[in-house]
Amino acid sequence: MIVTTQKPLDEVLDFITPYNTILIAGCDGCTQPPRGLREAKTLAQLLELAGRLKKRDISFRVTTVAKQCDNYLAASILKPQMDGVEAVLSLACGIGVQTLSGVFPEVPIFPAQNTHFMGAEEREAGILEERCAGCGDCLLAATGGICPVARCSKGLLSGACGGSKDGKCELSPDRDCAWCLIYERLRKQGKLALLKEPRPPRDYQLSGWRVVT
Amino acid sequence: MSEPVTKEAVAVEQNTDYCSSCSVCSTLCPYQALARDAETGKITLDIAKCQVCGLCYANCPASVISVLYYDLDSLVAYLERAQREYDSDTLVIMCRGSAPDTKGVARLFGVSEFIPLLVPCVGRVPDELYLRALLMGIKKIGVLACDEDYCRFERGSAVARREITAMNILLDQLGYGRDVITLKEHSLKVQVDANLCIACGNCVFYCPYHAAGLKSPGGISFDLDACRGCGLCVAMCPALALELENWERERISRLIRRLAGEMKPPGILVFRCQWASFPALDGEPPPQVRFIDLPCASRVDRFHVLEALQQGVGGVMIAACSEDDCKQERASGRAEHSIAALMARLDQIGLKERVHFCSVSPRYPGQMERELEQFTRKIASTG
Repeated sequence: MIVTTQKPLDEVLDFITPYNTILIAGCDGCTQPPRGLREAKTLAQLLELAGRLKKRDISFRVTTVAKQCDNYLAASILKPQMDGVEAVLSLACGIGVQTLSGVFPEVPIFPAQNTHFMGAEEREAGILEERCAGCGDCLLAATGGICPVARCSKGLLSGACGGSKDGKCELSPDRDCAWCLIYERLRKQGKLALLKEPRPPRDYQLSGWRVVT
Repeated sequence: MSEPVTKEAVAVEQNTDYCSSCSVCSTLCPYQALARDAETGKITLDIAKCQVCGLCYANCPASVISVLYYDLDSLVAYLERAQREYDSDTLVIMCRGSAPDTKGVARLFGVSEFIPLLVPCVGRVPDELYLRALLMGIKKIGVLACDEDYCRFERGSAVARREITAMNILLDQLGYGRDVITLKEHSLKVQVDANLCIACGNCVFYCPYHAAGLKSPGGISFDLDACRGCGLCVAMCPALALELENWERERISRLIRRLAGEMKPPGILVFRCQWASFPALDGEPPPQVRFIDLPCASRVDRFHVLEALQQGVGGVMIAACSEDDCKQERASGRAEHSIAALMARLDQIGLKERVHFCSVSPRYPGQMERELEQFTRKIASTG
C-alpha cells in the first residue's frame, strides 16, 4: 500500500482557516493505515475542538470516496456533495489529492496527510517500511523476492558492499542489510547460483512517468 | 525508624480459622489464586492473581471468604430497596456481559416489568440470595447468563447453571413449584454491515479470537461462535462497518450527550472496563463524575472520547485492566496503544491533559478511587 502519516493539526488548521465550509474527504483505497470515514470524522472532531480554542467556527462536512485516485469515481461520488463547499481537505495520498484538484479545478484541495512510500506493514510490530521503489524493471525473481533497489541503502544491484554488521546496514544501523536478507533467502531456497548469473546493465529510464493502457 | 507503610486495601479476604481445606474454592478458581498452604494446610489466597470473580465467595461452605463487592448483605439490601421501587414480583439477575437493554430483557423472559439486578458475572451470586429473594415475596426469578464459553470469568456461567439446576430441584421439593428460576443465555456480539466494509483487514488482524475472516471476493465474515464481544474490531474499523450489540456507536453518543448535561463542573467522564472497576449496585456517583461501562477498554472509541470533549466534558478517563489481567486476551494493550496515539494528536492542539488512561483492578479498590481523585483534581485546577 501507499504509506502515509497524518499532518500535524496546526499545519492543517493553517490551510483551512480562511474558509467557513470544509468538506473532509476520506479515502477507502489503499493507504496504510486506511483513512476512510472514521478518520474523516475524527479529523473533523479534532479540527472543531482546535478551532474552538482559536475562536474560529468552521463548519465541516464529512464523506469518503472509494478511491480518490480514480477521477471518474471521484467526480461521480463528490460532485453531488460540493454545493456550498469552499475547500476540500483530503485524507488520500498525494495522488488522490491531485486527482481531486483535476476534477475540481476551482476548489482548493488540501492534503491532510504526508505521503511517504510504497510499502507494507509488519502488523505485529506496527511498523511500516518501504518495499518497492517503482523502478519499472522488477528484478525480484533474481533476488529471492527481496528488493535491493528499495531496501539497500546504497541501491546496489550486484551484491553486498561488505559493510554490514550483524545483518544491519552500515549507513543506517536500524535497517536490515538487504543483501544479507537476499543471500539468506536464496540459500534457503537452494538458489545461490542466481547470484552468479550475469545480467545486462540496467536501464534506469524504465521507471518512467507515464503508462498508456 | 522506617516510615509507616499504608497497606493497600484488598477486595477479597479470608478468615482462615474457619477453613476446613475442602478445596471447593481452589477447584473453582479460574485463576489459580487459591492454593493449599504447605505449612498450615489451609487454602490461602494470592490476591495478586485474584480477578474478584466471586466464585469462591459464592461457594465456600464455611463462609471463610469475604468480598467487598456484591456480597450477600449488599445484594439483599439492594433487593429490599428495589422491591419498593419496581412494581413487580419478578426478579431478573443479569450478567453485565450478556444483558441487552431493558426491553430486550423483558422480551427474553416474557415479562413486562421486572426488578433488575446487574452483576459482573452471575456465578458470583450465592445460593442464599435466591432463597432470600423468595422470602421477600419475589415469585419468579430470571437469570440471564453469558454463553458458557463466552463467560469472561471462564467458568462463572457454567457454575451458575449448576447452582440454578440444584436450586430448582430444592425449591420444587420445598413446594415452591417447578422452574422457579429460569436460566437463559445470551451473549453480546459483533454486528456487521457488509455494505460498508472496505476490506482493509484490520478486524482480521485485531480480533483476539480470530473470529473475523476476509475473502476476496466475498468480503468480510464473522464466526459468531468465536466472537467474545470485546469490541476491539468495532473501535478499529476504519469504515465504521461494525457495531457491538448493546454498545452501538449512536447509543453511546446519546449516553455521552445525556451524561455531559448532567455533570457538574469540571465534569469527568469515565469509560470503564466493567471488569477493571465494578459498577456500584445502585446509587449516584459524585455529581461531577459519570461512568460509561464497557465490556473491554478496547471498545473505547476515539470518536467518543472526542465527542465527550466536544460536549464540554472537562476530562475523559479510560479505566482498563492491565494487559496481564485483561479478560479479552490482552486487548486492553491495544486500547492503551490506540488512546496513546489519540493523545499524541490531542497534544498537537493542547488538549492532551484532558484525557487520562489508567490500569486498575477491582482487587485493590483504592486504585480506582485514587486515579479518579487525582484526575478530577488536575482537571479542576487547570480550569
